Amino acid sequence: MFLARKLVLAHFWVAFAGFLLAIILGEWQMYVRSPLHAWVNNPEHYYRSVTAHGTVMAYVLPTLVAMGFGYAITELSLKQPLIGVRWAWAGFWLVVGGTVIAAGTVASGQASVLYTFYPPMIASAFYYIGVVLVVVGSWIWVALMSVNLRAWRNANPGATVPLAMFGNVTGAYLWAWTSVGAAVEVLVLILPVALGLKDTIDAGLSRVLFSWTLHAVVYFWLMPTYIAFYTIVPRAIGGRLYSDTMGRVAFVLFLVFSMPIGLHHTFADPQVGAGFKFVHAAMTAMVSVPTLLTVFTITASVEIAGRLRGGVGLIGWIKALPWDNPMMLALAFSFVMLGFGGAGGIINMSYQLNESVHNTQWVTGHFHLIFGGAIVIMYFMIAYELWPQLTRCAPLPQGLIKAQLWLWFVGMLVLSMPWHLVGLLGMPRRMAYYDYSDAALHPQAWTVVASTFGGALLVISAILFVYVLARARPVGAAVPPFTFSMTAHPGERTPALLNVFGLWVAMMIGLTVVNYGYPIAQLALLKDTSVPAIRIGGP
Amino acid sequence: MAEERPYAWRNPWFRWSIVSLAVLTVASFLIGFIVLPSAQRDFTTGDFWETICRAAGLPANWGTPPPSGDRAPSTTVILAPAMGVRGAGDAVGRGATIAVQQCSMCHGAQGASEANAPNLAGQYPEVVIKQLLDYKHGARSGSFMQTLARNLSDQNIDDVARYYESLPKARTAPARYDETSAPALVRVGDPLRNIAPCIGCHGGTDHKFGAPWLEGMPKEYLLIQLKEFQTGARRNDSHAQMRNMTRQMTPAEIDQVADFYARREKG
Repeated sequence: MFLARKLVLAHFWVAFAGFLLAIILGEWQMYVRSPLHAWVNNPEHYYRSVTAHGTVMAYVLPTLVAMGFGYAITELSLKQPLIGVRWAWAGFWLVVGGTVIAAGTVASGQASVLYTFYPPMIASAFYYIGVVLVVVGSWIWVALMSVNLRAWRNANPGATVPLAMFGNVTGAYLWAWTSVGAAVEVLVLILPVALGLKDTIDAGLSRVLFSWTLHAVVYFWLMPTYIAFYTIVPRAIGGRLYSDTMGRVAFVLFLVFSMPIGLHHTFADPQVGAGFKFVHAAMTAMVSVPTLLTVFTITASVEIAGRLRGGVGLIGWIKALPWDNPMMLALAFSFVMLGFGGAGGIINMSYQLNESVHNTQWVTGHFHLIFGGAIVIMYFMIAYELWPQLTRCAPLPQGLIKAQLWLWFVGMLVLSMPWHLVGLLGMPRRMAYYDYSDAALHPQAWTVVASTFGGALLVISAILFVYVLARARPVGAAVPPFTFSMTAHPGERTPALLNVFGLWVAMMIGLTVVNYGYPIAQLALLKDTSVPAIRIGGP
Repeated sequence: MAEERPYAWRNPWFRWSIVSLAVLTVASFLIGFIVLPSAQRDFTTGDFWETICRAAGLPANWGTPPPSGDRAPSTTVILAPAMGVRGAGDAVGRGATIAVQQCSMCHGAQGASEANAPNLAGQYPEVVIKQLLDYKHGARSGSFMQTLARNLSDQNIDDVARYYESLPKARTAPARYDETSAPALVRVGDPLRNIAPCIGCHGGTDHKFGAPWLEGMPKEYLLIQLKEFQTGARRNDSHAQMRNMTRQMTPAEIDQVADFYARREKG
C-alpha cells in the first residue's frame, strides 16, 4: 500500500532537479574565484550565483525532501492512506511556485542578498514573497502530518506511534516553530521596506529574528537523515535497532534544544547582550547530546548487524559488516563527516573559540561538511531506498550507487577541508574575489584550486545520482513491501511521554520565550535603531 | 498494570524532564549573568544590578553620546530617497534659470566644464543637493561655492539638481571592465588594504545612493578631491567613506584612477 506515490515522487524530482542546478552554480563559484580562471570582473554575478545556490540548497532541497519523505513515512509506517492529498498537492505547488518566483528574481539580478537576507540589504519584494510561499507550502505539510497522526491515534487508541512517524512529526513541529522567526523578520521588517513603504530597517532586530530560524533550520534539515539512521539503516544492513526509546529521546531533545540557541550566530553582533550569548552557547552544547546518543545507538545497532553476520571479538564485528552494501558505506561516510563537522561545530558555538573562526571560510567548510556531507548523503540513500516503491522499478545498480557515494564523500572532504584550513588562517567568507598577486594570499591559492576539484567531484556525483534515479524504469513484477528497522528488544515498552508531543513542544516554546523574549523585546522597543536600506539591483 | 499517564508529576519522565530543564536554564543564566560578568573587569564597573543589565545588553550609559572632541560633524545632510526622484518639468525649468545665471560660468552651459570645475551634466540629483547643502552649511569649503550656496534656498537647490539631472551624462566607461580596460583599483579595489573597487559605488557594477557620476570629470578636479580626502582637508563624506578609501592609495594610484575617470568621450 503506497497511494501517495506520485506526490512523493513530485517532491523528490523538484528537489533533485533544483539540487543539480544549484550544485553546478556552486562549482562555477569555486572555479571563477580560483586561480584557474581570470576574475569575472563583476562581483554581482558571483553573489547572484551564491544567492541562488544558497536559496535552493538551504530552503528548497531540504524542505521538499522532508515533505516528500514525511508523506511517504505517513503511509508506510502508519499503514493508512494519506489524509489530505489535495492539500498536500496545494502545498507542493506553493513550494514550486515560490521557488520559481524567487529563482526568477535572483536570476534577473534583483535579489543578490544571499539566502540569509542580510538586512540592511534589501532585494526585490518578489524574492521574499517567493521564499514566503515556499515556507507557507511547507506549513501545509506540518498541518497534514499532525492531522494524519491524530487520525491514526483515533483509529489505534493507546498504541505507540512508530518511531519513523514520531521523528517525522518532531521535524514538522520543529520546522513550524523554527520558521516563525524568519517569517516575522520578512513580513514585519523586510517586506515593508522591499515594497517601498519604508526606507529604513532595524538591521539588529532583523538579525536576531533570523538567528531564531537560522540554527534550528539545520536540525530540520537533519531530521530526515536521523530518521533514516534509526529506522532504515539497521534494516538495510541486516541488523536491529539497538534502542527505539533512545531514538525518541534524541528526537525530543532536538525539539527542545535546537530552537532557542540561535544567538550563537550573533557572537560578533553588538546589539545582543553577552549574558544571552553565553546562555545560547551553553544550550547549543546541549544539542550535541542527541547527536552523541544517536552515534552511540546506531553504532550499537551496526554492531548487532556485524555480530549477526558472524563477527566476533572487540573489532572483528567491524570486518564482518556488509561493506559492499551502499547503505553501510553511506552510513560510514556520513558518520565520518558528522564527526569532523560536529567537532568543528563545537568550536563555532564556543563563545571564545568562535572569535578565531567567525566569518571565515572555516564556517563555509563547517556547514558544507555537515549539511552537504553528513546530511545530504543520507538524502541520497532515502531516495535510493524509496525509489523501488515510488517507481516500481527493479533494484537500482549497486555499483553506480557506491561510486556515487565515494565521489560525494571524497569530493566533500576535498572541498571543505581546505576551507577549514584557510579559515584558521583568516580567509574571510563571502568574498567574490581574491587577489592572488598579493604576497599574503599567494601561498593560499592552492587551497582554492583544491576546493574547485573537490567541487568537480561533487558535480559528477550529483549527475550520477540523478542519472541512477532517472534511468529507473517500472518493471511488471510487484516490488516487496517497504519495511522499517526492527528493534533489538521488540517487547520494549515505550514511556508514555515519548509517545506524545505536548510537553516537548511546550518546553520548546517556553525555552524560546526565556532565551529570546528579552533580546527581541528590548530591540523592538529601542528607538532610533533603524538604518537606511541598501537596495540591491536598483538603478 | 495501570496505564501510565504522561502528564503527571508522578511520572518520573515528566518530573525529571521539567526539573532538569529548569536546573539547566537557571544555571546557565546564573553563570551568564552573574558569575562570568563578575569575573570580567569591564563588566564590574558598576553595582550588581548594573552588571546584570550589561550582560543583558543594556549599557548603563545608554543614550549618552560618546565624547566627540571639538570637531564639528563631517556632514549634517541626511540622504533621503526623495532626493533621488526625477523632477517635474517646472522644477527643471526653474533650475535651468538659476543654473544659467549662477553656475554655467564654471560648470559649462550644458553642465560640462572646460574650467576644471566638475561636470554636472546628468549628475544624480541627490549628489548635487548634498554638496550644495554641505557648502551652504560649511561642511565643504570652497570660496566661490560657499558664497553661492549660501544664497540658494532649499527649493532653489532642489530645482538646480533636477535641471542638471535632465542633461545627458558624459559616458566614457569601457564596454566591459576587464584587465585591459580599467585599472585594478577601479575594477576590484584592493581587499587586503580595505580599498573597495570604484565601480562598486560609482556605477559599473553598482551605484550607491549619494555616490556621484564620475565619468568624464576633469582630471585636475578628481586629483584635488582624492588628495583632499586623503589628507582629511575634505571631510564631508558620510561615514568617512572616501577618506577611508583614499587613505592607503599611493600618489601613482590616485593619478591612475583620476586619469581613468577623466577620459574624454571617444569620437
